[in-house]
Order: sequence, then C-alpha cells, then structure tokens
Amino acid sequence: MSAADWQRIDRLPNIYCAGCGNGSVINCTLAAVEEMGWTRENTVFISGIGCSSRAPGYILTDSLHTTHGRALAFATGVKLANPALNVVVFTGDGDLAAIGGNHFIHACRRNVDMTAICMNNQIYGMTGGQGSPTTPRGAISTTTPYGSAEPVFDLAELAVAAGANHVARWTSYHVKELMAAIATGLQTPGFSLVEVMTQCPTNYGRRNRLRQVSDMIEHLRTHALLVQKRDRLIREGKPIPEGMFVVGELVRRHRPAMGVRA
Amino acid sequence: MRLVIDESRCKGCNLCVLVCPYGIFREGREQNQRGVIVPELDRPERCTNCRLQHLYGRLLCGMCQMICPDQAIAWEEERPYEPHRVEVEF
Amino acid sequence: MSRMEFMQGNTACAEGALAAGCTFFGGYPITPSTEVAEHMALKLPKRGGVFIQMEDEIASIAAAIGASWTGARAMTATSGPGFSLMMENIGYAVMTETPCVIVNIQRGGPSTGQPTRAAQGDMLQCRFGSHGDYGIIAVCPASVQEMFDLTAEAFNLADRYRVPAFVMSDEIVGHMRERVMLADTVETTPRRPLSPGRLPFEPGEDGVPGFPEFGRGHAAHVTGLTHDERGYPDATDHAAHEKLVRRLYQKIESARREIADYEVTNPDAEVVFVTYGPPARTVWQVMHDLSDPAIGHLRLRLVWPFPEFALAAFPDAKVFLMPELNMGQISREVERHVDVPVVSLPKLGGELHTPAELKRALEVHR
Repeated sequence: MSAADWQRIDRLPNIYCAGCGNGSVINCTLAAVEEMGWTRENTVFISGIGCSSRAPGYILTDSLHTTHGRALAFATGVKLANPALNVVVFTGDGDLAAIGGNHFIHACRRNVDMTAICMNNQIYGMTGGQGSPTTPRGAISTTTPYGSAEPVFDLAELAVAAGANHVARWTSYHVKELMAAIATGLQTPGFSLVEVMTQCPTNYGRRNRLRQVSDMIEHLRTHALLVQKRDRLIREGKPIPEGMFVVGELVRRHRPAMGVRA
Repeated sequence: MRLVIDESRCKGCNLCVLVCPYGIFREGREQNQRGVIVPELDRPERCTNCRLQHLYGRLLCGMCQMICPDQAIAWEEERPYEPHRVEVEF
Repeated sequence: MSRMEFMQGNTACAEGALAAGCTFFGGYPITPSTEVAEHMALKLPKRGGVFIQMEDEIASIAAAIGASWTGARAMTATSGPGFSLMMENIGYAVMTETPCVIVNIQRGGPSTGQPTRAAQGDMLQCRFGSHGDYGIIAVCPASVQEMFDLTAEAFNLADRYRVPAFVMSDEIVGHMRERVMLADTVETTPRRPLSPGRLPFEPGEDGVPGFPEFGRGHAAHVTGLTHDERGYPDATDHAAHEKLVRRLYQKIESARREIADYEVTNPDAEVVFVTYGPPARTVWQVMHDLSDPAIGHLRLRLVWPFPEFALAAFPDAKVFLMPELNMGQISREVERHVDVPVVSLPKLGGELHTPAELKRALEVHR
C-alpha cells in the first residue's frame, strides 16, 4: 500500500475551502500511518465535529465521526475494548479545547495508547468563523467583532501538564517535520498529542489581514519558534519574542499507559 | 515519471507554488471548467522525483504532494517512449 | 449451573449484564445507580472485560458506544442528571445504529431532586429525550429477579435491532434486596454481522443492517450526520434524510409485537390497573387482598415501543387506572389507544403507592 491507497477516492474533492491546511495534515498523517505499516484491518480513525473532524470521512478504513468534543471519550472505549486496534483521533481547537476540554485532560491523564492530531486553526471554521479558546487576543472573529478579549489555551503545554507521553507542535507548512512528529506519536505507547497550527484563509485570515493563503503560510512560518531555540533564549536570559508559538517535540516520556497492546 | 495535477480535485490554492524548491509550479492564468485557476507546470522534467524516483526506489522531495490539501498532485508512469519523426530545418 | 442468592436490584442488574456476556462498562458514580458500577468494577476485570470510570456521563456513554463498535457488548448505568447529560450521545447511538445498554436507576427530579428516592419521571425522556425522531427499546423491571432477566434481555434486543436499549428501573427496585435466581448464562442472540457484498448501512428486510465490526477490514465510515447506505454523509438531501429517519423509526415500530413483553391478569375485568416497574407490586397486594375477578392488571415489562395491542386484552374494561411514580407520563400514551376513561394516579416524593391508596382509588372509579 501507499499513502494514496488510504484515501476514499470516491469522496474527493474534499469539502475544505481552497487553501485550507486540513488536507495537508491528512496527507502527513496517512504518510506516517503508511510508514508504520498499519493496515485497514487494524486502524481506526475517530473524530468529533468541525472542519478537522471531517477528515476520517476521506480515509479508507473504519472510522467513527462522533459528537462535538467527545471523540477522545469514544476513542477510549474503542481502544480499551480492543487494544489490537491502532487508534488515531482527528480533532480541532474548538472540539478539543472548548467543548471537549474535560475529555482532553482526562485522556492525557489516563495516557490511553492513541494519537490525537489537533488541527488548530484558531477559529470555528465550520460554523462561520466564531472565536475559539485559541483565538489570539485582539483577533477578529464573528463573535469577537472588537477583537478577542480572552487569553488563550496553549494546548500542547496543557497536554504536557496533564500527563501525555508524547506532545509535539508543528504547522501545516512544516509538512516533513509534521509527518515525522506524527510517526513518533504513533510509535509512542500512551497518549500522544500532535498540535498542528493550520491556516484558515476563509474564516480567520480574511478578517485578520491575512487574506491570501500565502500570507497565512508566511505568518505560520515566521511565528514558529523552535523549542531548542526557545530553550536557548531562556538559558541566555533573553526575552522570547511576542506572538510566537513554540514548535517541535515538547515531551516524550514513559509514564504508565493504558490500552497498550500486550 | 511525470508530474500531474488532477484538475478534478485542485482548488487553485497555489500552496504548491509556495513550497516547490525548483519553482516548477507557477500560478495559473485561466479558469478551467470548474472555475478553478489550476497552477501551471514550468518545465516539470526538472522535478527530481520525476527523474530519480525509479533509481532510488522511493519518493524523494514530494513537498508539493504532501502539502497539497486536495490530494491533487501525483506522479504517474509515462507511456513507453514512442519514436516519431522530427524534421530539422537547416 | 444456576444459583439462588439474596441480593440488591443494582447488583442483580450487573449480574444480568455479565450473564449476557457484557464485556465493557463505562460509568460514572451517581446515586442511586452506583452499585451497578461497583459490581462491574469488581467482576469485569476477572472475566477479561473492561471497566472504566470515565470523567462524566457524556464520556461514559461515548466509551460504551466506542466499545460496541469493536464488537463488545457494552453498557453504562446512571440516574436522572447523568441521564440528561447522555442525551446527545443517545441520539448518536440511534443515528449510527449502535447496540448498547443504558441502565437508568430513576430518582426524583427535576435537577438534583431526590437522589435517594425513587421516581419514574424519565419515562418520556428515554423515549423522546434526544433531538429528532427515532425509536428505542425500554424495559421496566418490577423485581430484583427482573433486574437480572430484563437487563440480559436488553442486550439481546439492542443487538437484534441495533438500537440503544434502556433498563428503566428506579431507586426502589435498584436498592431492594430480594431472592434472585442467577443463571450462569442466559440465552443470547448475537449481532448479525455484515454479509459480504453488502454496504455497511444497507438494511435487511427487517430494516436492520448487518453490523460492520471494526477491525475486520469493512472500512465502515460511521457518522452521526445523515448518511447513505455506504455510510457517507449526505446532510443536505431531503430524500436521504427522510429515508434514513423513517427506517430508524420503523425498524422499532414495526417490530413492536415481536418485542412486546407484558402480563395480563383477569382479562374479563372491568377495572384494569396498568403498571410498569414497582407500582405493580402494590397492585399485586391489592389484588391479593381483594381477590376480585372484576379487577384486572396489565403489567408492562417493556414500555417502549408501546404495546398498545396489549390494552385490547381487556375487552370489557370500563376504566383503566394508572398508578405511576410521575405526573402520568405513560397514562397519556394509554389514553391515545382506548375509548374508556384512563385515570392517572400519580405519586411523587419517592414512596410507592400504598395498597390503601389504590383501594380508595378503586372505590372512587369503579
């Protein structure tokens, strides 16, 4: 099999807007799954609700497209009932951090052997661009027309604090690094979160002076701060530039995990 | 191997234009039947993947395919070389 | 080998599930259902099953649904507030045709209400609580023995019709201790697997599709969106939606004679008690005290889909009396199907009707 064999060809083209980063994340995930040598008989994709969560519908394997925010709870049931299945969860920032926040921290705490890939586009895309828990302060959305006044969640740091065995963050521009990070997540026993900063030109960029896809990509590229560089800045006592987000592998450890195949 | 864009899937986002290290993709100029301006290929034979995929037995660069959100980029086998007569005027 | 024991209704419920081959329990503690989870936590790991205490009731039923897709017989147990939290995912289980068993040990509501007192206030919620039109199956045990028997039967019904099945018990039966005969195994009807060449959601003649268990290479896409027979979302086509929802509704409605489970006493009676769950116990006492053949009793062991044909078992009935631990939720359903008066005898506060109360009602209404 090759990565292309995992696609439900009859459902393409997908529903994503032109320039959406979600499709790239699907590619990286399938390439990583293919690298693992997993098959249709032992792989399950699970998702909640939102743009990101439509992804399993384009993948030719067993898949569960569930209710808003609950994907990790469904995935916990699938994985514990049959540890022989490899479970990958697609989720978004609203799905994971807002309505599914409780399930998220508890999935990290339980450290159930699965990989969650969060496509963080900092907005509720499917409902038309409302503010989410990761919409940056000052950003315009349809529910924050005067700029978001709320501080944001750092999902990757949250997962580290809650106990996940592997946490990484990349962007939909850094496809090679993203693929490698997902592959590491798939290999790591226990819970793995790979947060992907993705572009949403339609609902985020359009309202926040990043109208073109290239503007959004440039924004992702220039605002990504490699974790090693951040650590160096801290060591040297230098300030970390405003508005940057850390990319790279944030943690990889061996806390006791649940649902690991015997 | 030959680099192809599947026009039935491409939505014209031009992400491939941004990432190709060889500058093979160029922003297109004309809409196709679906109303999408599909990127043009500028001398695609320069693509390493086209030339060296068989030699190395694996996908090489592949950035454009990996980032294409619409799964529209692929390499296909070229049909066997068919000789045809070329007249050269001196 | 069967064995006789003296145990609590909630424990008997858990034993019934184990006998039926339940291998997954996702739960969250809530009075008065907690003993079901406690007993499963004790027994499931020793049998190679999985018990997991989730972070809330929403996650509990989600985990049970997820487990069900791997082919496991999965369940959860809760009470009023937790049951309300589960509603969205119950709709998901209906839409995706996921077999699972949900035990509701009902307590006084609304809201936190009376956690340690019985009620039957969730009877309409279990039928109509999630949004949209659908059908479900609900059984109502009136004794500890029935907690065992009907919980086991609920698994069979859930698997047979690919639908969530509810055990709508209450604090009285849940916490009552009685003699119970525990069968080691009970008769089980396994899920019908997806036949080769069939689409994942292509229904059989009975409207029920074969089950495309995860991990068998069926590549089934399961979604809560309106979907076609392939399982692919088709959320804007009115014909696809109508076809799907009608089938989900009809597969249960059209099977209600097959599913029905009720007891008729004194079919020639003129005054007929209609009960489900523990009010039946008071009626038994009243009938025992009066031994009057003019008093009849229709006891529903299964309330949804409502077996309206059972009411025709009393052709001479002049009045139906309905003692319920709610404001008359099922009496309205009975009213829809009979031409004679239906008298609702509601009782709130957590106590069962006393025999004296029902005898008084008999004097007033006969």
